[in-house]
Amino acid sequence: MIKVNNLSHRYDKEKNKAVNDISFEVKSGEIFGFLGPSGAGKSTTQGILTGLLPLQEGTVQVAGFDMKKPSAQLFDKIGVSFEQSNVYNKLTALENLDFYKKLFNTETLDSMTLLKWVGLDHVAHKKAGEFSKGMKHRLTFVRSMLNQPELWFLDEPTTGLDPAIGSGIKQLIKERNKKGATVFLTTHNMQVADELCDRIAFIIDGKIVKMDSPRQLKLEYGEKLVEVDYYEDSKVVKSKFSLVKPEDLSQLNDIIQNRKIEMMHTKEATLEEIFIKVTGRGLI
Amino acid sequence: MKKLLATFLNDAKLSFRGLYFYIEMGMAALFILIMLFVVPENFETRQNIFLVDMTPDQNLSRLLSNSDMQVFDNRLELEKALEEDRSGVGLVLSMEKDKLIYDFVLQGFESERMVETIKASFEAQLRRVSAGDFGGPDIEYLKEKTSPLSNRTQVLPVYLAMNIGLMGLFIIAAYIFLDKEEGVIKAYAVAPVSIFKYLLSKTMVMIMTGLLTSIPIVLLLHGLDVNYLFMIIAVISFSFFGSALGLLISSFFDTMMKAMGALYLVIMLMLIPTLSYFMPSFNPTWMKLLPSYHMLFTFRDLLVNQGQSSYILTSSLGLFVLGVFALYLATLKFKQSLTV
Repeated sequence: MIKVNNLSHRYDKEKNKAVNDISFEVKSGEIFGFLGPSGAGKSTTQGILTGLLPLQEGTVQVAGFDMKKPSAQLFDKIGVSFEQSNVYNKLTALENLDFYKKLFNTETLDSMTLLKWVGLDHVAHKKAGEFSKGMKHRLTFVRSMLNQPELWFLDEPTTGLDPAIGSGIKQLIKERNKKGATVFLTTHNMQVADELCDRIAFIIDGKIVKMDSPRQLKLEYGEKLVEVDYYEDSKVVKSKFSLVKPEDLSQLNDIIQNRKIEMMHTKEATLEEIFIKVTGRGLI
Repeated sequence: MKKLLATFLNDAKLSFRGLYFYIEMGMAALFILIMLFVVPENFETRQNIFLVDMTPDQNLSRLLSNSDMQVFDNRLELEKALEEDRSGVGLVLSMEKDKLIYDFVLQGFESERMVETIKASFEAQLRRVSAGDFGGPDIEYLKEKTSPLSNRTQVLPVYLAMNIGLMGLFIIAAYIFLDKEEGVIKAYAVAPVSIFKYLLSKTMVMIMTGLLTSIPIVLLLHGLDVNYLFMIIAVISFSFFGSALGLLISSFFDTMMKAMGALYLVIMLMLIPTLSYFMPSFNPTWMKLLPSYHMLFTFRDLLVNQGQSSYILTSSLGLFVLGVFALYLATLKFKQSLTV
């Protein structure tokens, strides 16, 4: 669905390249996560893939279209949800969706149904300028679904949303993906990426430093640990034991047999921990 | 076409819900009210002459006498009258050894040119009364003489050119930067519709506003004595040109604040032809290179000649073609910068 080869991009007057010689592929039906801190090159890459930024170096194919000269037909196939909400403040939520509906050549979804999916149906006739930041974000998100895109670009889809709404959005993404939509997800939220993505790429300083499935990354970089809360002299003690090191295993075995255990669970490395391990940098 | 119409209707809706549309409509209404109820049809240009005739038989004052002239017995009364009427001119006639002496008593602020004019005018009258009217040259007109514009409608072409051609330039820039600030341009750019249609739709809104703020004014101030088909053609063409030029200028900047300097400069340049409009003797060739010159004189021709002149259509077509060129360049430039 997406083929990127040796892509580079430099903004005017900038010394360093925002994106520096990256290559990757996204298969049809996949949820692909593009992860990195602010300024890593995520949005620039998405900008080029969606035609918002010109292709300077390298080759990019999106949904079968060459991004050197993207055809208008491409935009019937893709949907783009932006990190910064961008809706007409002077139009109502319904008017916002109804206007964009008219721009597509393909079959579109009903505006009211879409608003219902993200809990905005009760404010359908309210001007978007009166919306909270989260409501505008939901309107921006749902607008990207209007044309039932084959390829869906999502930039920080759950940022700024309360957990319940965020969970609903993630559910919608999963459902659309089950129906065949390919998702290109740009985020710095590792939990969202972990929950949704089939594969992820870590990008930092414009370069892809690692690309694999979350499971594979955890297996490769995560330490197999068990966290145990147990009683010792009527006090609760918390300890971590490696499932690989023999001395840890023997100690754990001793606790299981001789102590009263309050809580015990395996502890996988998070994607965030892996990111720090791989890049030596944090996500902010 | 369907997408262009949808975009235009959306832009028109946004315009009706925005401030700029009502500022333009309000200014148009204010202009009508001022023109109809404050500005007189024609300004009073009479100049009173206060005369003291100290010649022995006082015949001259009787011969010169007209409705603008008041005769006084002595200079003291004349000076008092001049103090009361600051635009008046005093004249004292006397005889010295059979020679007529005439002294002008002026206010003190008259220019040398004006003094010479007053002198020449008086001497001409003197010649007329002393030697009889020898008749002036015959004046013939190449075309049928048209009725001159009243002082009130003389201002109308300036208002129309300013409102349609120049304010449109500024307001369309404001619309673009507002869209950019809201980020809606990005959403539009990832829909299957071209940037050209987005820009064209904005110019269509400006044309609509231009028609709404000009045709009713012409109708109210000048009545039906105008070729409205030509007037509409001119308004559409000049609105289109003004807004396309505004788009082209805006395409070089990323914020309204940065664009303000260039917009201001262009508007000021475009105002220069008003000098030729109000001072016909100042009409250098380079002035005709400024599009606003043709806007002004096209509107004047429309009001004076009732649309008979081919100049109206030529200038409308010329500025429309320039507008197409400006819009083409703006589209190319915006493709690189609008969504960044």
